[in-house]
Amino acid sequence: MAEQMRVTFQDELEQVEAALQEEGDYVLRSLRATVNALEQADSELADEVIAFDDEIDNRYFSIQEGIQSLLARQTPVAVDLRLVLAMLHTNLHLERMGDYCVTIAKLTKLASDAEQDERLVQAFEEMGQRAEEMIRVALVSFQRRDLAGASSLVDLDELIDRANRRAVERVLDFADDVSKREWGLRMIIVSRCLERIGDHAVDIGEQTAYLITGEFREFTDASHPAGS
Amino acid sequence: MDTDTMDEVAPIEIAKPQEAKRSAAGREVVFDTRDLSISYGKSLAVGGVTLKAYENLVTAIIGPSGCGKSTFLRSLNRMNDLIPGARVDGEVLYHDQNIYANGVDPVEVRRRIGMVFQKPNPFPKSIYDNVAWGLRVLGMKDGLDDRVQRALTQAALWDEVKDRLKKGAFGLSGGQQQRLCIARAIAVEPDVVLLDEPASALDPIATAKIEDLMHELKNDYTLVIVTHNMQQAARVADMTAFFSLERTESGGHGVLVEYDETQKIFTQPSDKRTEGYVTGRFG
Repeated sequence: MAEQMRVTFQDELEQVEAALQEEGDYVLRSLRATVNALEQADSELADEVIAFDDEIDNRYFSIQEGIQSLLARQTPVAVDLRLVLAMLHTNLHLERMGDYCVTIAKLTKLASDAEQDERLVQAFEEMGQRAEEMIRVALVSFQRRDLAGASSLVDLDELIDRANRRAVERVLDFADDVSKREWGLRMIIVSRCLERIGDHAVDIGEQTAYLITGEFREFTDASHPAGS
Repeated sequence: MDTDTMDEVAPIEIAKPQEAKRSAAGREVVFDTRDLSISYGKSLAVGGVTLKAYENLVTAIIGPSGCGKSTFLRSLNRMNDLIPGARVDGEVLYHDQNIYANGVDPVEVRRRIGMVFQKPNPFPKSIYDNVAWGLRVLGMKDGLDDRVQRALTQAALWDEVKDRLKKGAFGLSGGQQQRLCIARAIAVEPDVVLLDEPASALDPIATAKIEDLMHELKNDYTLVIVTHNMQQAARVADMTAFFSLERTESGGHGVLVEYDETQKIFTQPSDKRTEGYVTGRFG
């Protein structure tokens, strides 16, 4: 006879997890607008991205509060404990992604009058799409407790890392052109922010792996690169 | 994709908002104790308790042994009247009426404010008669079967006993007996149920069932629970009162140290004594 027990606790856990997925949706929305603002040098849209970060932050704090309540009142153990800890980290990773969007939006505003480099802008569109894809994979893998999906983020991250390196090379290509130099320097940071968003998606994948296996481990890190 | 505003970007489905946490704000005050002190003979058991309990919330009373938790709880439906030498000073206002005022019938008080005790104490009668007993005594005999079924259903026991209502209550497990006592308490349609350590004699599974039940019952009743088990208070209560023992030359007596939302008590208590108790450092 396996009746469901501790219904309130399970409800609270589910609510926090649903809020986390919602936060993820908000980050995706912010990232899409960020890349669009960048491509179109649209300062107004960039301002909206900056303002919208408050929405993400509100969810971040509300999830943090929910987790505090779960820990203080429900003494979660075993899979419940792993879920709470994984959500604690994932919440922070999502919030950081939102902050990177804000950084890109601010740089977009600073560079809005400058002449753009078409190839670089195209590269950012591609990086943005890859970052979005990584966030989606990270969120869905977490939701489905999908270890293979979470692990696949390492390979996806490799693609965005390469794009980042190409972006830097592209800026170096036109660095002699004084009229483009300032814009290019700002765009190196933009590229770096997109690349970092990918890193945070990988970190969420690691939290999913911990949730499933109970083992603390990084998929890759600087001292143990992928494939070594 | 051309996008001019955030609204046009990747529409998303918003998950359902978190259910609002229950708080005391805007709720009717059920109990309002004012400078309430209870003594047994010359010895003060608990002194100067001023506290409000709110409608449809679970209010927990926690604290170390001897701090007067149960004494306080029993004062809320005049159960201490039954103890020789017990004296009450101060006021217990129940919906603004002092239940210790002259002319108040303690039996009527206890009909509205039911009680469940630490050890399940069913009558040596059938399951049905246990629940029907109070109803018969109070003359609430119309639709007796329905009333019994409703009480047993509310106490999450109906499915387990519906085929053996005429069997003796002592054939039930401890956890079932306690839920039967809850059914017996709510059958007479009280307003409040006081629970004095209702799960301390039960195993963890039976305890979890009682706790789940409390979450259901608070939709219909106001609950006040005394518990030794701090985590139980954390799990079930909306408001938590921490009582402690104040040492004096003549011995000591219980005092209310802190009363706040449970969340606050277990994350950021205001009083060092509360913090010491909930963290297990002393108490």
